[in-house]
Amino acid sequence: MTAQEPRNRTPEPEKPAVGAAGATKTAEVMHIDLDARKRLLAVIGGNRVTYCYQCGACVGDCPSARFYEGFNPREIMLTVLLGGLDELLCPDSIIWKCSNCYNCYERCPQDVRPVEVIIALKNLIKEDGHQPQDVQSIYETILKTGRSAPVIAGLARTRERLGLPPLPPIDMAEIQAILKPDTAEEGRGPENELGKRS
Amino acid sequence: MKALFFPGCLIPIKYPQMEVAVRRTLPPLGIEIVDLEGFSCCPDPIFFQAADKVGWLTMAARNLCLAEEAGIDIFTICSGCTGTLSEANHILKHEPPMRDMVNRRLKRIGKEYRGEIEVRHIVTLIREKVGLERVRESVKRPLEGVRVALHYGCHLLKPSDIMRVDDPDEPQILHQLIEAIGAQPIVHDERFLCCGKACIDPDLPLEMTRTVLRSVKEADVDCMGLICPTCFSSFDTGQLLIARKTGEKMDVPPVYYFQLLGLAQGLTPAEVGLNRHRIKPLSLFEKIGQGVT
Ligand code: SF4
Ligand code: SF4
Repeated sequence: MTAQEPRNRTPEPEKPAVGAAGATKTAEVMHIDLDARKRLLAVIGGNRVTYCYQCGACVGDCPSARFYEGFNPREIMLTVLLGGLDELLCPDSIIWKCSNCYNCYERCPQDVRPVEVIIALKNLIKEDGHQPQDVQSIYETILKTGRSAPVIAGLARTRERLGLPPLPPIDMAEIQAILKPDTAEEGRGPENELGKRS
Repeated sequence: MKALFFPGCLIPIKYPQMEVAVRRTLPPLGIEIVDLEGFSCCPDPIFFQAADKVGWLTMAARNLCLAEEAGIDIFTICSGCTGTLSEANHILKHEPPMRDMVNRRLKRIGKEYRGEIEVRHIVTLIREKVGLERVRESVKRPLEGVRVALHYGCHLLKPSDIMRVDDPDEPQILHQLIEAIGAQPIVHDERFLCCGKACIDPDLPLEMTRTVLRSVKEADVDCMGLICPTCFSSFDTGQLLIARKTGEKMDVPPVYYFQLLGLAQGLTPAEVGLNRHRIKPLSLFEKIGQGVT
């Protein structure tokens, strides 16, 4: 597909699109990988990225952008919009530098909730099996014990000495049952009027 | 009033002294703590949510179901638990398709989310259901002249449309609670900076933590006043790691708000578990005439 250049506009000088690995851009043509984008739109919280108009309001108060060169929520949103998911779904993806502080969620005038888009991307990384060790070990600890911190030897005694009741048991059969993926019969989840999950 | 205690994981397992402080300081405010068997991890809003958003929502819904069965509103003592349970409660109350999806999974264990209870962080519970006056009345030994650097952390306040606790750019709730015990809330430059705990990187979390700690140090305080165990871990263990890595020694004692409340209610440092802390608030002990147990 060849895009028509608007008549009264001089084509921009050759400048690579910022952070857009999945898109190829020349002076005249830009290909956007819509199929790659669709995968994200199906994850909870991923669909709002389409509201992004690239204003950059999410960047000013982003602590990761302040302290980590190359991290920028606006650029991450742009990369997603252009379908460059491969770059964001690789094992050492920059999205793991996000601090989950929700400042971008507060600042975005378009209700994109960039942090939620980033969390949706992280879910795709897990789906692909490329999650960092920190994530995997918390995930496994919760799956096995129902708690996020491993119960260390001696804790029962410490709690008793402090006058605290023992940690109550957790019904792990219940936890494991609800964490199993949905069956075909149960369906893969709701679709909203846009055909995207809300 | 009765309030259903959601202890979470980090405090009862890693920082039980904070649980001690909560259990000792709430009864004098007229709050009857109700314990319930069966709660799991909230679950973890950072890494668990990053791994499985639907599972995260469903596990949170199961916890909310247990509270619904007990018929009592939940109070949390950790900002992470507050975030997960409030967000899940909000989504499930307001988005029927999500509720249906989660309820299909809960059906496997004979449960159903109905949306009948509220979730509040303990500080919100105090402000809304008990009143600051009651806190003031419970004070036997005002922490006069004690300078406390406030650090709200992220997840008590944001996302503000869901949390509805305070204005995230101009929060008041901790100021008021610190004033209620006679101490002086101190505003420092980096009070809104995230502790960085969720970033997966060898340097980034320490950079953020160090920036906050330097700002606190400049404000010349007796301690930091926190309400989140994750912030606590960043500022406590973080100081060790920073010293090891760069040689910079901060000596800023992080303290959980309910330990301060306990001191003001007349408890000793050991009775609120401060003897377990690596970096003890020595100048605070001195100001209130307590030994360094
Ligand atoms: S603030 Fe919102 S609309 Fe603006 S660039 Fe960021 S995500 Fe896009
Ligand atoms: S949540 Fe992540 S992307 Fe958003 S402002 Fe915080 S660090 Fe930046």
